[in-house]
Amino acid sequence: MDYFIDLVIIGLSIGMVYALVALGISLIFSGLDIVHFAHGEIYMIGAFIGLMLFRHLGIGYVPTLLLAVVLTGIVGVLIERLFYRRLTRAGGGYTVAGMGMIIAGFGMSIVLQNVAYLIWGPKALPFPVPYGRPVEIGNLALPMSYVWIIATALILMFVLNLLLKKTMIGLAIRAVAHNKDIAYLSGVNVPLMISLIFGIGCALGAAAGVLIGPINYVQVLMGISVLIKAFAAAVVGGFGSLPGAVLGGLLVGVIESLGAGYVSGTYKDTYAFVLLIFVLMVKPSGILGVEAKVKA
Amino acid sequence: MLEIKGLVGGYGSVQVLNGASLKVSRGQIVALLGGNGTGKSTLLKAVSGLIKPWSGSITFDGERIDGLRPDLIVRRGLVQVTQGKEVFPGMTVEENLKLGAFVVRDRAKTSRALDRVYTYFPILKERRQQLSGTLSGGQLQMVCIGRGLMSSPRMIMLDEPSSALAPQVVLDIFRTIHRITQDGMTVLMVEQNVRMALLLAEYGYVIKDGAIHIEGPAEQLIHDDNVRLSYLGGTVANREASLGTGA
Repeated sequence: MDYFIDLVIIGLSIGMVYALVALGISLIFSGLDIVHFAHGEIYMIGAFIGLMLFRHLGIGYVPTLLLAVVLTGIVGVLIERLFYRRLTRAGGGYTVAGMGMIIAGFGMSIVLQNVAYLIWGPKALPFPVPYGRPVEIGNLALPMSYVWIIATALILMFVLNLLLKKTMIGLAIRAVAHNKDIAYLSGVNVPLMISLIFGIGCALGAAAGVLIGPINYVQVLMGISVLIKAFAAAVVGGFGSLPGAVLGGLLVGVIESLGAGYVSGTYKDTYAFVLLIFVLMVKPSGILGVEAKVKA
Repeated sequence: MLEIKGLVGGYGSVQVLNGASLKVSRGQIVALLGGNGTGKSTLLKAVSGLIKPWSGSITFDGERIDGLRPDLIVRRGLVQVTQGKEVFPGMTVEENLKLGAFVVRDRAKTSRALDRVYTYFPILKERRQQLSGTLSGGQLQMVCIGRGLMSSPRMIMLDEPSSALAPQVVLDIFRTIHRITQDGMTVLMVEQNVRMALLLAEYGYVIKDGAIHIEGPAEQLIHDDNVRLSYLGGTVANREASLGTGA
């Protein structure tokens, strides 16, 4: 039983990381109609920026996390403004022209990997954070890193929810996500909101990267597997749905952890996709997804 | 207040507007009439900034606004309410309305505007916490017009406020539009409901193939066979039909 609880807690904390990346992907998709395939690299760059800040500025882990999140958000805004927006404009307004954006996302992913390689090199770097002693609950010794991940992710989700539900900016973001023309006519500065949405999406990815850093090493290729898992999570939860992204992330994390613990660790990366296939067979729109709207 | 001169524009490479010119004076209510695909909505979109005009000029309150971003045009006090009763269905009625005041930074001003909208549409006050996706067609149209009024604009453009509504609801909406103009609002209204629009408006324009075809005071247009003719598409059969059932 203890073993089971252990696995679930590990799964939940890894799931929180997937959930944060999936949240970013879903937010960007619902707001900008971009399926962002370079989001794994945003996560990786967030982790590297966090590591550099932590090593060279000598600041604590929390300031590191916050600063890395903001800086990566800004990097994201620049990427969208300088590269993606040219494509969305070409699509006429904001809706993205078919394959172009997807290919651009893959291209960006390769470019960012190589930029990171040039700056930080090919080696996996440790991200040593002195977390202190594990928390002991009964027979369980819960490493602080997992507690950190779960707590931080919950706080970030809470703040995001507050932002979207309770502020005028959040109202405007939701309006832009639903209908850009009507948002425009309501007086919302749509281009600014698009930057903001993309920036927030990237900031969430960076938070995930900084959170996972101390558990795994930080390395250039760390984004690929997370991207795939986060996509699985987003699809399982319902693509574009924010609560769905969180639910999907946690499910993928827990199932992966239980599978690795009880079945075999060798197939750790496949359990997410077994779940994905199962969900797609039962409810193709995802657990919390809405049925695709057919325009009259 | 609003002056459009020789407006040319369209979507992509398809030209819709063909040198349309019109004028709306302060406090006036003007109807823009025409059949499907004649460029009515396109004209409004060009004025509100949703599409960039290819040539021609749009002047609002003495300043050129053509090519400006839509939110900047809203800031200047010119608001468009689109066709199709488009609300944000996942937001409550009040959230929808508040969004219309996005350009207003002053909270007191926003709540005054909200109160005014609620006096125009009392039913919206009753339903203010309801998700707008659950409203009836008439109520949706009220939310749209209300949202347009929330930034306290000096002029509002309505794109077919009566479309796809029950006759009784249409009457209610038109009554409220009348009330809004009496409170000093300038209105440019696109309508398919020609008779209703001309009863309400002081001046009318009929657009055809992207240019103004006929214009004149509303009481004059309402008796003009050509208005009904061009509105109905211009066949003899249509003309006879319209004369048979018309006023």
